[in-house]
Amino acid sequence: MKTNFLKITSAVVLIAAFMGSCKPKNTSDTVSGDAAQKAYVAPGKYDEFYNFVSGGFSGQLSVYGLPSGRLFRVIPVFSVDPEKGWGYSEETKPMLNTSHGFVPWDDLHHTEMSQTNGEVDGRWVFGNANNTPRIARIDLKTFKTAEIIELPNSGGNHSSPFITENTEYVVAGTRFSVPGDYENGDVPINTYKENYKGHISFVKVGKEGEMDIAFQIMTPGVNFDLSHAGKGKSHGWFFFSCYNTEQANTLLEVNASQKDKDFIMAVNWKKAEEYVKAGKGKKQKVRYAHNTWDEHTHTAKSEIKTEVLVLDASELKDICYMIPCPKSPHGCDVDPTGEYIIGSGKLAALIPVFSYDKLQKAIKDKSYEGDYGGIPVLKYESVLHGEVQKPGLGPLHTEFDGKGNAYTTMFVSSEVVKWDIKSLKVLDRVPTYYSVGHLCIPGGDSKKPFGKYLVAYNKITKDRYLPTGPELCQSAQIYDISGDKMQLILDFPTIGEPHYAQAAPADLIRNNGQLKFYKLEDNKHPYATKGEKEAKVVREGNKVHVYMTSMRSHFAPDNIEGVFLGDEVYFHVTNLEQDWDVPHGFAVKGADNGELLIMPGETTTLKWVPDRVGTFPFYCTDFCSALHQEMQGYIRVSPKGANVPLHYSLGTNFPAGK
Amino acid sequence: MKTVKISLLSKVLLLIVTGLFLGSLYFPMWQIDLDAPQYPEGLNLKLYANKIGGDVEIINGLNHYIGMATLHTENFIEFKILPYIIGFFGLFALVSALIAKRKFVATLFISFILFTILAGVDFYRWNYEYGHNLDPNAAIKVPGMSYQPPLIGYKQLLNFGAYSVPDIGGWMLIGSGLLIFIVLTLEYKWYKRFMKPKAALLLMPIFILTACSGNEPKPIKLNVDACEFCKMPVSDGKFGAEIQTQKGRYFMFDDISCLVKYCEENESTKVKSYYVHDYTQNNQLIDATKAFYISGGDINSPMHGNIAAFTTFSDAQNFGDKLKAKAISWNEILK
Repeated sequence: MKTNFLKITSAVVLIAAFMGSCKPKNTSDTVSGDAAQKAYVAPGKYDEFYNFVSGGFSGQLSVYGLPSGRLFRVIPVFSVDPEKGWGYSEETKPMLNTSHGFVPWDDLHHTEMSQTNGEVDGRWVFGNANNTPRIARIDLKTFKTAEIIELPNSGGNHSSPFITENTEYVVAGTRFSVPGDYENGDVPINTYKENYKGHISFVKVGKEGEMDIAFQIMTPGVNFDLSHAGKGKSHGWFFFSCYNTEQANTLLEVNASQKDKDFIMAVNWKKAEEYVKAGKGKKQKVRYAHNTWDEHTHTAKSEIKTEVLVLDASELKDICYMIPCPKSPHGCDVDPTGEYIIGSGKLAALIPVFSYDKLQKAIKDKSYEGDYGGIPVLKYESVLHGEVQKPGLGPLHTEFDGKGNAYTTMFVSSEVVKWDIKSLKVLDRVPTYYSVGHLCIPGGDSKKPFGKYLVAYNKITKDRYLPTGPELCQSAQIYDISGDKMQLILDFPTIGEPHYAQAAPADLIRNNGQLKFYKLEDNKHPYATKGEKEAKVVREGNKVHVYMTSMRSHFAPDNIEGVFLGDEVYFHVTNLEQDWDVPHGFAVKGADNGELLIMPGETTTLKWVPDRVGTFPFYCTDFCSALHQEMQGYIRVSPKGANVPLHYSLGTNFPAGK
Repeated sequence: MKTVKISLLSKVLLLIVTGLFLGSLYFPMWQIDLDAPQYPEGLNLKLYANKIGGDVEIINGLNHYIGMATLHTENFIEFKILPYIIGFFGLFALVSALIAKRKFVATLFISFILFTILAGVDFYRWNYEYGHNLDPNAAIKVPGMSYQPPLIGYKQLLNFGAYSVPDIGGWMLIGSGLLIFIVLTLEYKWYKRFMKPKAALLLMPIFILTACSGNEPKPIKLNVDACEFCKMPVSDGKFGAEIQTQKGRYFMFDDISCLVKYCEENESTKVKSYYVHDYTQNNQLIDATKAFYISGGDINSPMHGNIAAFTTFSDAQNFGDKLKAKAISWNEILK
């Protein structure tokens, strides 16, 4: 009896134990033996690729090396950065000026490198501001933001800053349709359908990179999401994905997800150019800022422009065509040959691939199924090359390796799927950790991809690193895609929330004429001090200008007296060093401001308004030499009207005073 | 029929059953585990006798994408009556122990079985209802897709793997049922009528085991996993091998010869599947019984078994020529 009972009990325990153990295993075993070797860049060795990663809600752009995942620099773009004095020094403040005044933060979503003949050329990288719509151009000789242009008639500049194959244009499409700035915007929100309009901007890029809004195309009110230019045979066309063709103005998560198909809008921008020449555009009164950085004066200038040319897509029939695309398309990517346009309906269970040749034929044959706000809607089947069946869940973005393969990120099923563009067959899939958004293959959206690595930028980090409380960094993964199978080789944390990123061979940028320091003789800053003998302090009313120099390891002057409460003090600090990698910093006690970080040969200004009487130290913040800790000085602040003469000195004491 | 009093052991067992029934009210009866890539920690829905617990808020949040109705304890009358039913069974068992009548125990058992069936049907009905009754305005609509969790076992629902099994309370009820069954077996001397009741009982776990263990090889972590036979780490992804036992355990080997020697020395180990590395790939395990083999020649495997495996016959032939190796069959290798 007893043994029988025991056996039954043990049988029950066994069942319980085995039921527990037969739970499906998760996918944590994807890193194989030689991964470390592939991502390893030995100390002192350089990476193969530069990776320019958007900083998302940090508003900045970070620069990484591939395949090591090492962070080299965070370039301040749309957000102030007290570390670098960006938005704090007098010279940089105008860069963040907009028609709304000084805006200290934005959300940089996408990066796009300049191209020549459809190939990455290493001159500039562009970034978009999603909140207060702007485009920035970052110079890759200096790794500094050189220009920012605001976009009128827009709300949420999301489908930006994508470029044409010779960087003729950088585009911007409004995410939120809004009443145009030239119209009355004080209308009931539920009049979306009649009063809200979409505007997409074509910003001309000049030889030196200078940006200017050439024209805008007005469309029915929808949400423009992403875009990419045609290339090769489809050069002259631009493709924008759009959702909310339901034109909902509330609870979009439901109301903008009703239609089975939204659109990819194909724009014939060469045709638009003709209409502009023919005078078909309408000049509209708007206000937008255009900010430029001058490399010689080390100073930004902000200019408010007041006019923009608008073409109406519903009147000029042959600029825009709508291609039906399943379920709220997000990514809109064009393959290296320019023939295939891939729309990624983020709620769709398939990926449609459209053909440029079929698009041309459908337009010629007028194979329309209707009209959307005056824009012809093409028949889905007549433009479709084919559909990738069962690619995964939640397709978002696609990049290319130049070998006929496409790589699409799947947000919901958290994976990257490799498929053949022509046959539309799925070839391989790898998990990402977790919920991947954008991806980047060096040159992956150009005519000439360098299909060696693929980086997945994820939205969820969870257990990838040691925990850091509720707020975690974002996580990216590098895959080796040189073989048939994708192989995970590295995880690395990123700044802010990366959306799109671009990468290019290191040599292209290393050898583009990198600036190592600013030549002192070319310094045209009005307050530059080109030698210690020229250092001085000048009073103009209640403004005190300090012409200061910094040199290892002292400031000139370093003792300043005769400043009164109520004065505004401007420290114009010139770094006299003429060697690479010898920056100096400057900080003064109580400044309600940032520090200055002054590169060799550069002049930078910190405004300081003392709030009390006393003696205030200032010092160099960037460890510059063995005697860095000696690099300091004092400024004395006296009550207003006190009998303290203006004095400044270095190395000598003032005549005995009070 | 005359009333037969039950033995002391049976009374004790019935008291345990009472304890299990009443105790089960404090533990979750059933759990539905959801696994998705972006939820590495897993989501867990716990069904108590009187409420829904676990990550119910998070699951409700997710369900709105696909238009599934949200789960709320108060929407289920079951959670109001279930504690009384289970409490009643507990008391029933207690009374059975006190009155000590065999027929009473039999009634308890039959009613409990009926209850289990009813509960199962009810559970299925709710699963069906929730999985199919989807909001037509949902953001994600996959044609033909329903989201009914499995009654028991594993099922893939979009990016979620759903795994539905009894929880502690459920196991306590199952234990109660088994104990009552044992009491009846003892009292009615059923075991005498059956030839091998023990064997029947032992068959059960094996049946469940084979029902749920997968047939996939477990990937070998190169330089991490060690060979079960020679204890050296598996470092070459061309010559390794693996076995899965009937019990679902995996053993890895750095050389096919190590697998063979291990099987020779451990004849009691019942092997369910054999896997070997495909020589043409790196660390790709294939079904050993379907692979093609070559042996000897210039092949140089870690433990000098010098056997290479291939998925295709043509690969085996090509490499055989190249490496001056001879073809050999799996049966010859295993001997």
